[in-house]
Amino acid sequence: MKVIDYRATNFRNLLCVEHQPSPAMNIIVGDNAQGKTNLLEALCVLATGSSFRTNSDRVLVNDQAEAYELSSSYEYDQRCFETNIKYNARTGKVITLNGRKTNPHHPDRLRVVVFTPDDLYLVKGSPSRRRFFLDFLLKQAGAEYGYHLDNYVKILRKRNVLLKKNQANTKTFKLTTEVFVEQAVRLVVARIQMVNLLDQLVGPLYQDISGENLGGLKLRYAISFPLDSGKINFENLRISMLNHLDTIKEQECARKSSLSGPHREDINIYLNNHPARQFASQGQQRSIAVSLKLAELMAIQQAKGEFPVFLLDEVLSELDKERQQRLLEYLQKASFQSFLTTVNLEKNQFADSQASIYRMSGGKLSGKE
Amino acid sequence: MRLARPLENLINQLLKLPTIGPKTAQRLALYILKLPESEARQIAQAIIDAREKVAPCSSCGCLTDVDPCAICEDEEREGHILCVAEETSDVIAIERTGFRGRYYVLNKNFHLMDGFNLDDLHLQPLLDQLSSGKIQEMVLALNPDIDGEVLSRYLADLAKPHQVRVTRLAHGLPVGGDIEFADEITLRRALEGRNDV
Ligand SMILES: [Zn+2]
Repeated sequence: MKVIDYRATNFRNLLCVEHQPSPAMNIIVGDNAQGKTNLLEALCVLATGSSFRTNSDRVLVNDQAEAYELSSSYEYDQRCFETNIKYNARTGKVITLNGRKTNPHHPDRLRVVVFTPDDLYLVKGSPSRRRFFLDFLLKQAGAEYGYHLDNYVKILRKRNVLLKKNQANTKTFKLTTEVFVEQAVRLVVARIQMVNLLDQLVGPLYQDISGENLGGLKLRYAISFPLDSGKINFENLRISMLNHLDTIKEQECARKSSLSGPHREDINIYLNNHPARQFASQGQQRSIAVSLKLAELMAIQQAKGEFPVFLLDEVLSELDKERQQRLLEYLQKASFQSFLTTVNLEKNQFADSQASIYRMSGGKLSGKE
Repeated sequence: MRLARPLENLINQLLKLPTIGPKTAQRLALYILKLPESEARQIAQAIIDAREKVAPCSSCGCLTDVDPCAICEDEEREGHILCVAEETSDVIAIERTGFRGRYYVLNKNFHLMDGFNLDDLHLQPLLDQLSSGKIQEMVLALNPDIDGEVLSRYLADLAKPHQVRVTRLAHGLPVGGDIEFADEITLRRALEGRNDV
């Protein structure tokens, strides 16, 4: 997938930006608070319908305006698509694809991988960060996951309300739990498959980025309930989770909240057979994070047949010189399109690269340098 | 400038309607004031009449001005197949597909979100029909969302002791979509392809 051109109107400080990016590497240079991240955010909203920085569309609208508008044409699977997103606080958000109303899960939508400094805490940070990473990836890899996730969040909330109202012995609660477990297991199956795929992809990438040859990086999905029988499939997971909920019913009633399910699960990361969270050095943890992001690109490529667009926000300055160099080399020889923001540009790093360089200042993007 | 109180009141009343925002409410109010008085009265009277004369049918729950409603009184209808819908608007959509069974409308904006207990749904007329022995099949035409899923299971459980086949609309409905907005062809296909619960 390649973005051919895009426009942003009244999107944060981008009052009117039009850009025809390079199909390869795009570097956006500028001081802080000039709008570099906003540009990547606009591309992320164009692809996924929502921002990686906020859940509120209202804050994306420029203070002086009532609505924002984004549009783009991009190329995917030898076809050209036009997409447009308009948001207005009063009428809400309308997404179109080739002129027709659509939703963010449409299979022909633009796909992106976003890499921000926060992602460098993927290893050390809380489980919710890793769950977000998985969910963001799975939503883009298939149209159904986002739909199942929305439903899971709804039924989880409903189940928790019933627990708060001490209704755990009603038929309504029993049936809600049945539906809750089925939704939960749909997510668990998809996540296990994805983690297994990432596990295969991430090893060689880690060696490229870290320069370490020894040992390996392993990923395992950690389920929040014991599995009764050996085989991992929908039915076994469903029965196991139902049984587990039976055994923890008293605790759930006491805590008035659902204590098992995808909202409490995690990815375990092992480096040389030790949990990376405790045993990997900070440098190794950052290499793992970079490798996970590259594995995310490849996972989407496997699911969609083409690489997504890679958005890197200010990550270079967080890496040491060697890792910077290895990541840049990787990006420059890659066949996917990337957008990278940075405050400082060391020209020699791109001496004979084909990267296109732009400058962002006061919400205005100026052409190639 | 302060709005004339009666005008302000009219705008506030219109604002209570779904899909009407402040600007639309104001435009409608001003439009009504420019109408000939007789037409404005007709609108007001239509609201009062509909409100006074239309109520849920005591046997099927469809909104009607004669009780029992025309569908319940229609002898030609197939009495062995009963379609359960959430609202009368769903019945109108399903009628357009040529379905000729009978209906049961729940008429209730239940939200499990509020910790709603399904045992509090008023379902006695439905239980009476199920135990009458006339019904062979109950089609659940509920919205294909999470609430519809839980409710379907609840209703299927109710029907179990009465040896009634329970089916629900199958594929064809837009994912996460409301039945009311499904077009006729999708809905007809969904009716044809219904599945056992
Ligand atoms: Zn009736």
